[in-house]
Amino acid sequence: MIRPEEIKMSTEETGKWGMVIDQDICTGCQACVAACAMENNITFVGEEDAGYGRSMHWIRIERFWEGEYPEVKMTPQQPMLCQQCGHATCEPVCPAFATVHSQAEQLNLQVYNRCVGTRYCANNCPYQVRAFNWRDYQRPEPLPNQFNPDVTVRRMGVMEKCTFCIQRIHKAQDKAKSEGREVMDGEFTTACAQACPANAIVFGRVDNPESLVSQLSHKGHGVKHLEELGTLPNVTYFKGG
Amino acid sequence: MSEQFSRRDFLKLAGLGAATTAILTGCGPASRYVKREPYQQMPEYNSVGQSTYYATTCRECAAGCGLVVRTYQGRAIKTEGNASHPLNLGKTCARGQATLQGLYNPDRVTDPNKTGSAMEWDAAIQVVADALKKYKPDEIAFLMGMAPDHLFDLVTDMANATGMNAPIRFGALGMFEARATLSKAAETLFGQAGLPFFDVGGAQVVLSFGANFLETWLSPIPYTRGFTGLREAKTKLRGKFVQFEARMSATGGKADEWVPLRPGTEALVALAIGQIAAEIRGGAMPKAFSSVDLLDVASKSGVKLEALEHLGELVATTNGVLAIPGGPALGQSNGLAVAEAVLALNAFAENIGKPGGVYLSALAPNQTEANRPASAKEMQEFVEKMASGAFKVLFVHGVNPVFELPKSIDFKSAMGSVEQVISFATFPDETSAEADYIFPDHHGLESWGYQRVATGTAQPVLSGAQPVVSPFYNTRATADVLIAAAQLAGGKFAEALPYKDEVEFLQTKVSSLMSESDGSFTAPDAFTFMAYFQQYGGWWKNTDARLSSGTSGILNANISAEEAQFAGEGEFFFVPFVSPTLAEAGANKPWLQELPDPTTTVMWNTWVEINPETAHELGLHNDDMVKVISEVGEVQAYVYLYPAIRPDTIAMPFGQGHTAYGRYAENRGANPANLLGGHFNEAGDLAFAGMRVKIEKISSAVSGVGLSRMESRMGVYGEALGEEH
Repeated sequence: MIRPEEIKMSTEETGKWGMVIDQDICTGCQACVAACAMENNITFVGEEDAGYGRSMHWIRIERFWEGEYPEVKMTPQQPMLCQQCGHATCEPVCPAFATVHSQAEQLNLQVYNRCVGTRYCANNCPYQVRAFNWRDYQRPEPLPNQFNPDVTVRRMGVMEKCTFCIQRIHKAQDKAKSEGREVMDGEFTTACAQACPANAIVFGRVDNPESLVSQLSHKGHGVKHLEELGTLPNVTYFKGG
Repeated sequence: MSEQFSRRDFLKLAGLGAATTAILTGCGPASRYVKREPYQQMPEYNSVGQSTYYATTCRECAAGCGLVVRTYQGRAIKTEGNASHPLNLGKTCARGQATLQGLYNPDRVTDPNKTGSAMEWDAAIQVVADALKKYKPDEIAFLMGMAPDHLFDLVTDMANATGMNAPIRFGALGMFEARATLSKAAETLFGQAGLPFFDVGGAQVVLSFGANFLETWLSPIPYTRGFTGLREAKTKLRGKFVQFEARMSATGGKADEWVPLRPGTEALVALAIGQIAAEIRGGAMPKAFSSVDLLDVASKSGVKLEALEHLGELVATTNGVLAIPGGPALGQSNGLAVAEAVLALNAFAENIGKPGGVYLSALAPNQTEANRPASAKEMQEFVEKMASGAFKVLFVHGVNPVFELPKSIDFKSAMGSVEQVISFATFPDETSAEADYIFPDHHGLESWGYQRVATGTAQPVLSGAQPVVSPFYNTRATADVLIAAAQLAGGKFAEALPYKDEVEFLQTKVSSLMSESDGSFTAPDAFTFMAYFQQYGGWWKNTDARLSSGTSGILNANISAEEAQFAGEGEFFFVPFVSPTLAEAGANKPWLQELPDPTTTVMWNTWVEINPETAHELGLHNDDMVKVISEVGEVQAYVYLYPAIRPDTIAMPFGQGHTAYGRYAENRGANPANLLGGHFNEAGDLAFAGMRVKIEKISSAVSGVGLSRMESRMGVYGEALGEEH
């Protein structure tokens, strides 16, 4: 039995990756959603399953309405993805230790071959950013030619979610290590940030005060979603407007 | 360069080792032999775990964005934007990302065939050669898409030399952008036709009359970048954005003020704002603005007088006002007057040719005058000629007119009057299904070529394309087919195309740029020049070549202050709009289908947007099936209660409703083009937003049947489809 005082909250800053999303300039164009799907071998589920909320988007653009016609307004688009919480609610409920916290990257990992599909983590995620493989979805030949060899292909019964493109993080770290240096800010970025035509997504090291992402996230008007739950999210939003 | 020349030898020769660059070049014909190998057998330029990157040009629309494609063991893995390309600066849209699902689409045309039965390429080339030889040059017609430009140049060369009909180009995006109207309106401002360039990023207040510039309009990536510039308060205050439209588009959703005016009154509102602004500013009232009566405009447009006065004051008192005409506002009977009225606001704001204002787009490096795709009127004339039997053979490449043209222009029947229709389609679309032969072209990522950047950047850009993978199927480059057929046909055809293959043709065209100054690179010889062209993904000038010397004469022009005319009967104005995620040709890519629409979050289907109040009066609910009836046809789709649309307007996205085009597109949704009649504006563009329609309820929503929407996921758990009413 673990006593509460033994639970270690991951507030430490070492190696911490983070993101800043500017909702004022996000146009909701879905380029990030498509880029994420292409990079991470995410399957499409078809119309019927998509209608039941089973689509596998690791990032989605939320938009809500305010007021009624003619005073109606679309709220600033809100790209919602795994917030890579420092104190994640998904982690303690996993009986298989499939969703665990990485000390090295300060990310929430999802270990696919440990996952037994209880879906407790998805139920417990306040951001609803986890996607479950309800079936073995068909990707007829030759579509699998496109698979990214750096990313595992998931099967039925496995939970998945945004990884902050951990394969890109590792690749950049390996390259930097072989060249005997640190990873530079802006040397690589996640698929969503790379595609974003509006430059609304900025990714980088939040523990490096010099990095763009950390300067932006300390600008003052940034918001962290559902911060009051104590989740310590690593994504900062600018509401704008 | 010989074919035995290995890629590695070439790299040594040109000094383009991996140490100097991460992006490899295709380097002439040698790279035609890029092979897809089993993972055990590596081609020499691959090593295990290492990717190779090729620069090329996106072909999902005609904008000409540069891509860098990551390949791995001869397979294309991921597309990214080319960071050094002046148009998109490393960014891509959703369609650019999903282009790989076109390349590896399970439903491609795999072999040359005659109405379904496969044939050999030699026989196919003979068919083309016979067609060229057998008929008189003026009996041969080419219909092409808005991309790629190198093939258009090749066919144009052929037409010029032989007296064959000049190729005609069309694309549904061009139709919904009303490019002919924009081009003609630009002529009054700059004295020459071409696409206007709106510097959104440098402006302080943007008034957009229907322009969907954050979706598919002209060149969405640079316009989105411009929008970021407008909003970011780095060197100036955060810019303001006002959108005028009857139905809130995804672009309008980003507006600070959304003005739902009555369709057809855009010109009136623009002129009224001009009049109020001119009054505030004092001095002589410009003639263009003097004809409107403010109270009359307010009552006709449904925009309150106070709102007009507020907008007029904004225009009068702000530095950096930019007004953009576009989309449905131009696709009406008075579209040209709308464009002129809106451009007059720019003339009033004195922003012509100034930062934050309107320019005329730069011509591409190998271009002497702007050319635009055919307007719908010109397409109607073309189809009439087809139907009259004036053409004996029709070649179709890069466009799907049976799907894209309005119902009133019956391309499908007219195809029956042409003796031989030869399609070069990559995918089995509606047009190729009706063709006599399909001689499939490679997918864009397997192709050579170039695309002229028509607008979106200050620099003249020729964007280069090269194969990033070897062809997956038994397809052949259309340029190669035409060159081989022209040689076989002999005579003037052979003289017109004296090339060994497409690559030689490209080298000839591209190396003509070597003598130009201010280029992005120079090279000592043609081969190296071509190699750099491929490596960098094109060639561009480092100078701003936009035309900035416009006149403000438009302020003293007589701009018609008439409302638009609407065709047909019915209680609703009809606004068809291009699906922001699918556009004209995205429906066969499953991930584009599964992207939620930015405004409604609907996936995989077509919907009819109705104001909730109106729906309530008519007894309609979400997911009810309705029939939309126009003067020329009817289509069926599910109802979507859309909070941001006028009560007298309904809207439908264009992009679905395919009867062919592969498993992901077929028999899904409805095509609003089947409602469009043959009405045109003064510039010849289709008055696609100038129709009135009726709706009839067919059936009530059934639980579990209806639109798949992302937004239901954001509700409470268990809020399944169709349960909310």
